[in-house]
Amino acid sequence: MKLIGKRIEKDGSGRVTVRPEDDEDMWHLYNIIQEGDRVRAAGMRRIQNVSTTGSVDSKRIRLNLTLAVTRVTWSPSSAPGAESGTKSGAPNAAPVATAKVEVTGRVAEENQHVKLGAFHTLDIEANKDVRIEKDAGGWDSVALGRVEESCVPGRGAEVAAIVCGEGSAIFCLLSEHMTTVLQRLEVPIPRKISTQSSAHEKGLSRYYQTLYTSFLRHVPYASPSLRAIVIASPGWTRDAVFDSIMAEASRTSNKALLAARNKFIKVHVNSPHVHSLVEALKSPEIASQMKETKFAREGMMLDKFFKMLATDEMRAWYGPDHVALAADRGAIGTLLISDELFRSSDAATRKKYVNIVEDVQQKGGKVLIFSSMHESGRQLNQLTGIAAILTFPLDIEVVEAEEREAKEEEERRNAEERGTET
Amino acid sequence: MTVDQRQLDIAGLNLDDDDPLEVILDEPAKPPAVVEKLIEEAKAALTAQEKSEKRSLSLVVVGHVDAGKSTMMGRLLYELGQIDEKKRVANERGSAKMGKSSFSWAWELDGTQEERERGITMDIALQTLNTPHRIITILDAPGHRDFIPNMISGASQADSALLVVDAAVGEFEAGFDRGGQTREHLLLVRSLGVSQVIVAVNKLDQVEWAKSRYNEIVQLLKPFLVQSGFHPSRTKFVPVVAMEGVNLTRREPADCPLFKWYEGPTLVDLLDALDPPTRDINAPLRFPISNIFKGTTSGITVSGRVCGGIVVAGERLRIVPGDESATVKLIDNDGESLPWAGAGSNINLILTSVDPVSLNIGSVLCRPGSIIPLTFSFIARIIVFDIQIPITAGTSIELFHHSLDVPASISRLISVLDRSNGNVIKSKPRVLTKNMSAEVEISLRGSLYSGPASRALPIPIEPFSVNKEMGRILVRRGGETIGAGAYHPLRAHQLRLIIGRLGVVMELLT
Ligand SMILES: Nc1nc2c(ncn2[C@@H]2O[C@H](COP(=O)(O)OP(=O)(O)OP(=O)(O)O)[C@@H](O)[C@H]2O)c(=O)[nH]1
Ligand SMILES: [Mg+2]
Repeated sequence: MKLIGKRIEKDGSGRVTVRPEDDEDMWHLYNIIQEGDRVRAAGMRRIQNVSTTGSVDSKRIRLNLTLAVTRVTWSPSSAPGAESGTKSGAPNAAPVATAKVEVTGRVAEENQHVKLGAFHTLDIEANKDVRIEKDAGGWDSVALGRVEESCVPGRGAEVAAIVCGEGSAIFCLLSEHMTTVLQRLEVPIPRKISTQSSAHEKGLSRYYQTLYTSFLRHVPYASPSLRAIVIASPGWTRDAVFDSIMAEASRTSNKALLAARNKFIKVHVNSPHVHSLVEALKSPEIASQMKETKFAREGMMLDKFFKMLATDEMRAWYGPDHVALAADRGAIGTLLISDELFRSSDAATRKKYVNIVEDVQQKGGKVLIFSSMHESGRQLNQLTGIAAILTFPLDIEVVEAEEREAKEEEERRNAEERGTET
Repeated sequence: MTVDQRQLDIAGLNLDDDDPLEVILDEPAKPPAVVEKLIEEAKAALTAQEKSEKRSLSLVVVGHVDAGKSTMMGRLLYELGQIDEKKRVANERGSAKMGKSSFSWAWELDGTQEERERGITMDIALQTLNTPHRIITILDAPGHRDFIPNMISGASQADSALLVVDAAVGEFEAGFDRGGQTREHLLLVRSLGVSQVIVAVNKLDQVEWAKSRYNEIVQLLKPFLVQSGFHPSRTKFVPVVAMEGVNLTRREPADCPLFKWYEGPTLVDLLDALDPPTRDINAPLRFPISNIFKGTTSGITVSGRVCGGIVVAGERLRIVPGDESATVKLIDNDGESLPWAGAGSNINLILTSVDPVSLNIGSVLCRPGSIIPLTFSFIARIIVFDIQIPITAGTSIELFHHSLDVPASISRLISVLDRSNGNVIKSKPRVLTKNMSAEVEISLRGSLYSGPASRALPIPIEPFSVNKEMGRILVRRGGETIGAGAYHPLRAHQLRLIIGRLGVVMELLT
C-alpha cells in the first residue's frame, strides 16, 4: 500500500490517506477502518434526474464520497489464480486484487449529487486513494502500527505451499499477512485392493497428472518475489509429487520451472490438512530460511506458547480475562494477540486490547499481533485470540481468588464509607 | 513453452479420466416388502449360525513398523494352504529381483509398487484365513507412524487384534517406548472397541530363542495391557518366528530350540479359539465405506464392515451424507456372492444405479427411513492419552471416525470427569492434561480462508448409547493420538442448564 498523506493530532484524531494495490492491502484496510470513522473514497452511484418534462433519467456516475462508517465487510478473493495471468498462458503475472472491502455508512460531506445523510456502500477499489479519518483516540498505537506495516515499500516475500496427502493437495499462497487457498484438489485413488489390481497405481498417476496441471496454473514459480515452493506431506507423497513435477518439467522442457528447482523445499508434516501449514512453516528447513517473515514468526511463537504450556502450565495463559489479569500483574513476557480482537465494533473493547498491548510494551514485554488470515492466526483465534507467555509462574486459581478477595474488600470498604457518611 | 489453456481448464476440472466411471442404470431394486422378507430370513439364518461349528470374525494385525506383521500373515496363508507353490515362487523371485528378498512373504500383503520398493506396508491389506473353527478376515495394518490413519481405518473394521512385537534387542524397546507404535496401536484398537488381543512375540531367532527374553517381553507388556483396558483373560501370548514359520500352525520343526522350553499353543490354536463378536443384527443398517473402486463386474464396489443391522442384495440404500441412493447389486465376501450379510461382516458391496461422485470414503450406507444423523459439532466424552502438551480450548485436531479423517477443533472444554464414576470434578477447565477424562465439544473445521472452500461435509455419527461402533471417535494432533472417546449427547440436566441460560427452552423442546 502507498502512503499518500498522514496528519495525526496529539489527541489521536486525524487522517491518513493510502492507496491500496492488492488483496493484502485490502485486508489491511479492513483492519484499519473502524465503525465511526469517516472514509473518503471513489465509488459509483446511481443518480436519478427528473427532467422538466417529468421523465426520469437514471445513470451511474463516478464520484468521491465521504461516509461516516457504520459497517465494514471483507470478502476474500473468490477464485484467485483462476484469472491471474492465465490468459496470456503465463501463470506468473503480478497478483491482482480480487478480495473485497465494502464500507457502508451515511454520506458525511456535502456532494452535488448525493444528499447528506444518505446511505451508501463503497466498494474500495485498488489503485485509488482512500482517506480515513478518525476521532480523538482513534489513531491508537495499533492502528498506526498497522498503517506503518502496510506501507513498507516492496511486497514481502511470497511462499507457495502445497499440502499433500495421497490423492489430495491444497495449494496455498502466503504473503506477509495472508494465506490464500488457491485450490483444493482431490483425486479419488482406490486404496490397495488385491495384489493383482493396478487400480491404485492408475489412480496415483492420475493424481500426479492433475496435480501438475494445477501447479502450472496456480503457482507463480517463475515470479522473482516467490521465495520458496513448499511441498508438505505425511509419508513420502511430497517426494513423489516433487519428482513428478520435475519429470514433467523436463519432458515438456519447461525451462522456467526447471530453473526454479532450488525454490522447492520438501517438508514432512503429520496430516494432509491445511492446518498442517503451521507445522510445515515452523519446521527447521523453512524456519532457517524465512525466520523474518510474519508467518514463520507467528508459527514459532505459537509453538513456543504450547511448549510453555507443556513444561510450565503456570506460565502459559490464554483467554481475555486471564491475560488481562496477567497484564495487571506485569507478568507478561510475550503477548500473542490476533488482529481480530482489534476489529471489535465496540470502541471500549478495542481500547481494552490496545491498553494491554501498550502496557506489555511499556513494561518491556514483546507483542506479536497475529494475522487471522494466516493459519497460525486462525489457530490463535480458536484459542480465544489472545494468549501470553509469562515471565514468572502464576497460579490462575490463586490469582482469581486474590482478585475476588480484593473485590470483596473494596465492596466492604465502600459499604463502610457509605455507612460513615450517613 | 505453450500450454493450451482450454486443455488446462478441462484437466483442472478433473474430468478426463481414462476409464470414466459412468452412471450405471441396471435392474430395478427389490421392493421394500421383498427386502423385509429377506431380512427376516437372514435374521433366522444368522441366529442359527451363532451356534454353528465354523464362526467368522475379523482381526486387525498391528504393531510397530517392521515387527513382521505382513511376513507373518504371508507365511500363515502359505502354511494354511491358501497360497500355492507357484505364487510363493513368484513372490520369492520378484522380491529377490528388487533386492528385497527378506520381504518375500510380506509381498502377499504388500501389494502396491511403492510398498514393495520400500519394504513398508502403507495401507491395510485384506485377506481371509481359514482355521479349523474360524473364518478370519485379516486386516494387515501398516506400522509406520505416518500411516496410522490407515491403521485406524482397519482397526475400526475389526473385532479382535493380533499384536506383533519384534523380540530383537532394542527393537522391542523402540516399539514400546514413548512414541513407539506398540503402545499407540494397542491404545487405538482398545479405544475402537477391540477387547481381545493375541500378542505374537516374533523374531525369537534374533535372540537365540531365549526363554528369558520372551518372558521379559511378556512381563513388560502385561501391565500395560491391563492399564489400556484389556482383561488378562482375553490377552494371550505366543512365541513365533514368522519368517521360518515356527509355531505358526504346528510345533515345527521339532528340533527348533523353541520347543525345548515352550509347550503352549501355536498361533493358529489361539486364533482358532478367538471369541466371535456379538452382532447387533436388529439395529438399523449402518455400512461405513472404507474403500471405493471399480471392480471387474459392472458397477462400483465399496468395501467396509456392516456396523449394525443386515444388508440384503437387491435393496436400495441411501448414501449419507447427501441425497443420493444406490442399489446393492451383489454382496461379495472374498469372492463368494451372498444374499445378505449381517453386522460384523467385512464385505464388498457392488452398487449400481448410482452416481459415483456421490460416494466418498467415510460415507455411510443406510436403509431409507432409518438414516444416521449428521452433525458439524458434537459433545464427546474422551480419555486424554499420555500427552505432553495439554489440550486447550480451540486445539486443532484431526478427527477420526471409521475411515474418515477430518480437520476439526476441540471447540469447548466442558468438564473434567472422574474416571471411575463419570462425575464432574471441574467445569470449564482451562486445559486438559494427560490421563484426564473429560467432556468436550468437537467442531468440524469450517473454511474461513480466501479461496475455494473445503468440502465441509457434516459427519455421520450416532450417540454411543444408540450404536457403539458408530459413536466411537479418535482425536489426533501433530501425528500423535491425544485422546479417544465417543459421542455422548449432553446429559439431560446439563441440557436444561444450557437451554435455561440461552433462554430458548421452547424452541428446543418442542
Ligand atoms: N529374523 C527374522 N526376521 C523377520 C521375521 N519376521 C519378519 N522378519 C523381517 O522383518 C522385516 C519386516 O517384515 P514385515 O513383515 O514387512 O514387517 P511389518 O510389521 O509388516 O512392517 P510394516 O507393515 O511396514 O510395519 C522383513 O525384513 C522380514 O524379513 C522373523 O521371524 N525373524
Ligand atoms: Mg507390513
